[in-house]
Amino acid sequence: MSDILLEVKNLHASVEDREILRGIDLTVGRGEVHAIMGPNGAGKSTLSGVLAGKPGYTVTSGEMLLDGESLMDLSPEERSWKGLFLGFQYPVEIPGVTNTMMLKSAVAARRKALGLPELSSAEFIKLLNSKLPLVNMDKSFLSRGVNVGFSGGEKKRNEVLQMAVLQPQLAILDETDSGLDVDALRIVGEGVNSLRSSDNSFVVITHYQRLLSYIVPDVIHVLYNGRIIKTAGRELAAEIEKRGYDWIIKEANEQA
Amino acid sequence: MNRLRVDKGLAYSDVILLREGADAVWDISVAAGASLQLTFIALASGAETLSCEISVAFEGEGGQCLLRGLYITRDSADVSFRVNMVHNLPRCTSRQLFKGILAGSSHTLFDGLIKVPAHCIGTEAYQENHNLLLTDDCRAQSLPQLEIYADDVRCSHGATFGRLDADELFYMRSRGIPEPEARRLQMVAFASEVLEGVPEGIVTQTLGVLEKLL
Repeated sequence: MSDILLEVKNLHASVEDREILRGIDLTVGRGEVHAIMGPNGAGKSTLSGVLAGKPGYTVTSGEMLLDGESLMDLSPEERSWKGLFLGFQYPVEIPGVTNTMMLKSAVAARRKALGLPELSSAEFIKLLNSKLPLVNMDKSFLSRGVNVGFSGGEKKRNEVLQMAVLQPQLAILDETDSGLDVDALRIVGEGVNSLRSSDNSFVVITHYQRLLSYIVPDVIHVLYNGRIIKTAGRELAAEIEKRGYDWIIKEANEQA
Repeated sequence: MNRLRVDKGLAYSDVILLREGADAVWDISVAAGASLQLTFIALASGAETLSCEISVAFEGEGGQCLLRGLYITRDSADVSFRVNMVHNLPRCTSRQLFKGILAGSSHTLFDGLIKVPAHCIGTEAYQENHNLLLTDDCRAQSLPQLEIYADDVRCSHGATFGRLDADELFYMRSRGIPEPEARRLQMVAFASEVLEGVPEGIVTQTLGVLEKLL
């Protein structure tokens, strides 16, 4: 087991022939939490989509390795089995498919792919119930359609619940704080923190510093115009909160 | 012709699995205060042709009629439903919910009429027809017709044609659900409104047919 969990090298990606990522380099060590910050349109969501294998993006060059293995030719489900998890900025509503149905299917597929024995219904329900307190959800959520009629906070808590059940090695949280009030932010933050360990890593994508006071990162990257233009320690978040991104962009331009 | 009469104040419900060559013409009457729920399931493949005609009339006020239909077609199958919902008396309620999942080069038709003469006030009549098209070659037709001559009625109709939602699909795949299974879940979700309360044997048969569309 290497100490490096995610390695992104000179990654270029486009949407409909428009280049969005213009050479991303990112190395995330096992057990680390990295934050990716940046202004609107910097390419933050594109990066998370490309890593998770969302259709519609074309990787034109570069590499992305999870635990030393290339993600490039893997389907989204294969990436998930390898331990990648994407927390959606806008979790999708799926009427008619309950939370339990989706998670049961997800857990079964994952265990099969990893060569683990199938869980019985009772074991699965036990697993699910054991994760509910983490996000302060009651059982009634499980029998509702996936995210259907959920408030903003409930949707994000549901993302954390799914993450807790799937136990990824690498969780990419795309603007998990958007649309959350303070209480929901705290529950989500505590949920994420309780899943942190020396084996798994997080990439937290966010506009604002406020989520990072709950999920404290080891490293902060600033993404701008499809490139990471600054990498620093956690203290950078407070500075960005105070001074915005302009000075970092200016600094990067002067270096270029 | 199948004649079905629901007597005054009674409730009746049934599920009909349509078969090629079997009589699929239904002449239904609903008496005062009676309530009927009929569910039609059409699973067609190969060059099968299933065609179902349903006429409903009310014999007394306060009658209720719910018609549900699910058609799942593949290959070059052809399925048609023609519904004639005649609100010939005041204060009766009807609802039509027909859903189709089409694959291959199959063709379907939903031709539904709601008729409300001028004296039939207090009528409630709703009609929905939703179609999920899995291939480029299949074709779903919907002909909703409302002939409403009365005031003080509540009527609506809606028809939709769509494909499996790409965002839902990616969401489920990102959780590790293999694409065919995610598609199957989407189709089951689409059909579930019609399959609710249907006997297990027919549900199992229907879900088995969905597997063949993956």
